[in-house]
Amino acid sequence: MNISITSPIESVAEFLAHAEALELESVESYEQLADSMEVHNNPEIAKLFRKLAHFGEKHAQEVTELAKGMTLPEISPWDFKWSTPDSPENASMDEAHYLMDTHQALEIALINEIQGQQFYASVAATTSNDEVRKLASEFAGEEAEHVALLKQWQANLGNQDALPLDDLDPPNIPE
Amino acid sequence: MTGQPPAIPLKAKDYKSEIKPVWCPGCGHFAVLSALTKALAYLALPREQTALISGIGCSSRLPAYTEVYGFHGVHGRALAVASGLKAARPDLTVLVAGGDGDGFSIGGNHFLHACRRNMDMTYIVMDNEVYGMTKGQASPTTSPDWAQSKLTPHGTGIPSFNPAAIALASGASFVARGFSGDPKSMTQLLVEAIQHKGFSFLQVLSPCTTFRPEQKNWKKEVHEFSGETTDDCVAAAQHIQIDDGMGAGIIYRRELPVWQPVVDPTHTVAELTRGFAL
Repeated sequence: MNISITSPIESVAEFLAHAEALELESVESYEQLADSMEVHNNPEIAKLFRKLAHFGEKHAQEVTELAKGMTLPEISPWDFKWSTPDSPENASMDEAHYLMDTHQALEIALINEIQGQQFYASVAATTSNDEVRKLASEFAGEEAEHVALLKQWQANLGNQDALPLDDLDPPNIPE
Repeated sequence: MTGQPPAIPLKAKDYKSEIKPVWCPGCGHFAVLSALTKALAYLALPREQTALISGIGCSSRLPAYTEVYGFHGVHGRALAVASGLKAARPDLTVLVAGGDGDGFSIGGNHFLHACRRNMDMTYIVMDNEVYGMTKGQASPTTSPDWAQSKLTPHGTGIPSFNPAAIALASGASFVARGFSGDPKSMTQLLVEAIQHKGFSFLQVLSPCTTFRPEQKNWKKEVHEFSGETTDDCVAAAQHIQIDDGMGAGIIYRRELPVWQPVVDPTHTVAELTRGFAL
């Protein structure tokens, strides 16, 4: 899915309010997925999702630093300007499965990071505010680094662990 | 929880508890939890003035995952418990959550009468058309030809329950349908449902990734509800019949008399006890 924005973001405060929500929701979702994988005895993928949550945490801290001394606008949850029904880095969480392998987990993460990058790039492309454009371009660049890193991880993985995990004693077999 | 208002406005995460959900990764209920906590934060509802009551099932675990008062009740009886609570404590915001099996099968009778009683509470049914906690049996909303359960190897052959139509016919004053795959809209629906004065019913299509993996396609199938929101129950009934069951939005909203028993603070415990004497 190609992410765009519903209307231009024209102030730094509004941009940071969007960025903060996006990054915090990303962290929360990855943490939630990690918790869920731990509960379902898939520790390797849980560890991977924790690492991905850390990406978002660093970005969220950056946003908090930038927003110091500013009053960010309160935006209703349904009024965020991303075009997706959920925040851009949160969009493919429903593709998760307790038996997923590293390939599948990285695929989810890659989609999320690409969507994050597209969102920030879209903000930069549509705003008339120079400062917003500069910040959004920087953020898009950082997301692009995450995308490149994930692609590198995928390449390093090769065909290893390519088959879906099998559970010989599934907890959820239909009766 | 204390009665003091928080110095800093609560965020959605402040309404989440420390307990890790045991739902399967990819379950739609995660999005319902997230939307509900966002709605509570948006409405700035004090945690100590809010109660979430549930029955039994995967979705009924919701109270454990929220930081408001909760009661994980008996199968199908969430609405009965919630009605009692609202009768005794009209000052509380009462929310009720459960699944399609809990709410429409064993709890079906309570559902009908909660709708017609029109007490001021919100009922969220997380509908995945299956009993997930007991490993995948057909529920009232399962389509008649779903043949993936050993209990119904040829499907149930029984037309599925239409929650919106039943709620409307039973007298609910707010009927809506949401989708867990659209958290933005679902949060708005939850806010509107909670703000509605009277019994608000919100059916949330929430895929079961484990027993109904085909429901991932709901992302492509769910659409905006075909009719306009109306306060005319005949028009709403027609809209529901025309819709394919996948339309999301507020279907019906009307201000109707809210039933709330008058609490007499002068009653003594002894008088109440006498009232129950056989």
